[in-house]
Amino acid sequence: MQGTALFQLPTSTTLLLLIGFYVLTFLMSLLISRKNENVDGYMVSNSAVGFSLSAASMIATWIWAASFYASASAGYKFGISGPVHYGLWGALMILFIYPFGMRFRKLAPRAHTLAEIMHARHGKSSQMILAVSNIVGSCISLMVNFTAAGALVSVLSPLSFVQGVLIAGIGTLAYTIWSGFRASIMTDFAQLAAMIVAAVVIIPLIFFNLGGPAMLAANIDHLSLQQADFFSTKAFLEQGAPYLVAVLAYAVGNQTIAQRLFAVREDLIKPTFITATIGYGAIVIGLGMLGLLALFIGLEPMDGNLNNIIPQMASTYLPPFAIGLFFILVIGSLSSTADADLCALSSIIMTDIYGKNLARGKPDPRRMLWWGRFSMVVATMLGVVFASFKLDILMMLVFVGALWGAIVFPVIISFYWSRVTNKAFTSAVVCAVALFVVARFGLLPMTGAVAVFFEILAAVGVGVVAGLMAFGFFGKRVGLFLGILAVLAILPYSIGFLRDYAVLLSSLTAYGVSAIVCVAVTLCGREHFDFALLDERVVSFQAEHAAPLTGSPSGAVPAAARA
Amino acid sequence: MSIFGLTAYILVWPLISAAVLVVLLVALARDMWAAHKSGDEMF
Repeated sequence: MQGTALFQLPTSTTLLLLIGFYVLTFLMSLLISRKNENVDGYMVSNSAVGFSLSAASMIATWIWAASFYASASAGYKFGISGPVHYGLWGALMILFIYPFGMRFRKLAPRAHTLAEIMHARHGKSSQMILAVSNIVGSCISLMVNFTAAGALVSVLSPLSFVQGVLIAGIGTLAYTIWSGFRASIMTDFAQLAAMIVAAVVIIPLIFFNLGGPAMLAANIDHLSLQQADFFSTKAFLEQGAPYLVAVLAYAVGNQTIAQRLFAVREDLIKPTFITATIGYGAIVIGLGMLGLLALFIGLEPMDGNLNNIIPQMASTYLPPFAIGLFFILVIGSLSSTADADLCALSSIIMTDIYGKNLARGKPDPRRMLWWGRFSMVVATMLGVVFASFKLDILMMLVFVGALWGAIVFPVIISFYWSRVTNKAFTSAVVCAVALFVVARFGLLPMTGAVAVFFEILAAVGVGVVAGLMAFGFFGKRVGLFLGILAVLAILPYSIGFLRDYAVLLSSLTAYGVSAIVCVAVTLCGREHFDFALLDERVVSFQAEHAAPLTGSPSGAVPAAARA
Repeated sequence: MSIFGLTAYILVWPLISAAVLVVLLVALARDMWAAHKSGDEMF
C-alpha cells in the first residue's frame, strides 16, 4: 500500500477540540484553586494523595506523545515483539523504582525533590547535579511535547505547526500555573480517562476496519522471520536493551516521578506503582500494535518518517469521530507530561535553587511561590520557542541521558550505604559522564585494547542494572549475587560484540564506571553518615520552618561515635 | 503464533487498559466518598 494524503479535520473542529480540551481542564483546575496556595501543597500536595489519583497521574505522566509514536515505530520495524520491547521495559521501570521510592519516603517523608534529599545527604554539588539535569531535562521534554502538538495539528488540520505549539503551550500553562502539582494530578486523571477511552475505541476499530483476523492470515508473509518471532534477539538488542538502560536512568533521575512518589500516601506506594506499571504497559503496547498492523498491510510511512505511522493509520482507517478521539488521545498525553514537567521544574527552582541556595534555608513562602510560577512561565516560553524553531536538541538529550545514567547507582546506594561520601558521588558521576562521551561519540577508536576496556566496563554496567533491580526487591545478598553473576555471564559475549552498538555500549559504560568509582572512592574514606539526619534536614517549608543545618556539613559522624 | 493467538495478542491490550480504567474509577469514587465522610480534602 502506498502513502496517501491524510484526512484533515476542519479548522473549526480542530479549534473546538483544542479549546474545549484546555478550557475544560482549566475549569477543573479552578475547582481546587486557593487564594493563598501553600508552597508544600503546590509541590507535593499533602503527601497523602490517594491510590486512584496517584496511579492515574503516574501513568499519564509516564506516557508522553512520543510513547505512542515510538511504540508503533517499534512494531513496524521489529514486528510482533517490537511494541513489547518498548512498552514492557518502560512499564517495568515504574515497578522497579518503587522499593527505592519507599526507602526515600521512609528516610525523608517531607521531601519535595530528590535533589533536596541529596543536599541533605551529601551537600550542594550532588544536589546541583540532580537539579540542573532536571531543569534541562524538563525544558527538553516540554519542547518535545509542544513539538508533538505542533506536528499533530499541522498533519491533521489546516492549522500551522506554530499555532499548534502555541495553543498547547498556553493551554498547559494556564491550568497548571495557579495550583501547581495539585492541578496536575487532578487533570491527569481526566486526561488519562480520555486517553484510555480513545485507545479502547481506536485499536479494535482500526483492526477490524483493516479486515481483522482474515487480514492477518492473508498478510502474515509480509513479516520477516525476525519480525514474526516473539523472542526476536534483533528486537531485544536494537530496541529493548538500549531502551531498558535509558529508561532506568529516566525513572531514577527524573523529578516528575519523584514528585509523585513524595505525594502519594506512604502505605499506597506499592499498589500505586503496580497499577501504573500495568496501565502504562497496556496503553503503550496497545497503541504500538498499530505499527504492527501497518507492517501487516505494507503501509509506507509518509515521507519515510516512522512517526507518521499512527496519524496515517488513524486518518485512513478511522471514521471522523474517532479521528477526533485520536486527536484528544495525543493532546491528553502530551499535556499531562508537559504539566508534570512544569511542576517538576518549578519544584526544583522553588526548593533547590531558591529554598536551599538563594534563601539559604530560610525561604519566604510567598516569594517561593512566586519563583515557582515565574519559572513555569519562563519554561513554557522556552519550550514554545525551541519547538517553534525546531531546534536540534539531540546533543542536549544525549547529555541529560548520560547524566541520569551516571547518577543511578550513586543516588540509590547513597541511601543504603552510610559510607558513601559527596566526593564519591561527584567523582563517580564526572568519570562516568566523561567515559560515556568517549564511547558515545567515538573519541577513541573502538578497536583493540580500548574496545575491550569499554566492553568490560559495559559488562559491569549490565551487572549494576541486574544487581540493582534484584537488590530493590530481594535485598543486598541477592542483588550482589545476581549482579556478579550477570557480569560473569555477559563478559564473554560482550567482548568483541558491544563495540558495534555505540548507544548501548556508552549507556552501560556510564552505569559500570559510576558504580566502580563510587565504590572505590567510598572504600577509601572512613566516614559514616547518620541517616536519621535526613528527616531532620528535609522539612516542610510552610507548615514549619526549615531547620538550619547543624553539625558537620557532610553529616558525617566519627566511626567511634556510632552505636 | 497462530492467527487466533495473534488476534488475541493485538486485542488484549485495550481490554487490560479498560480494566485499569475501571479499577481507577472505582477507587476514585471510594476516595471521594471517604473524603466526603471525613471532611478531609483529597489532595
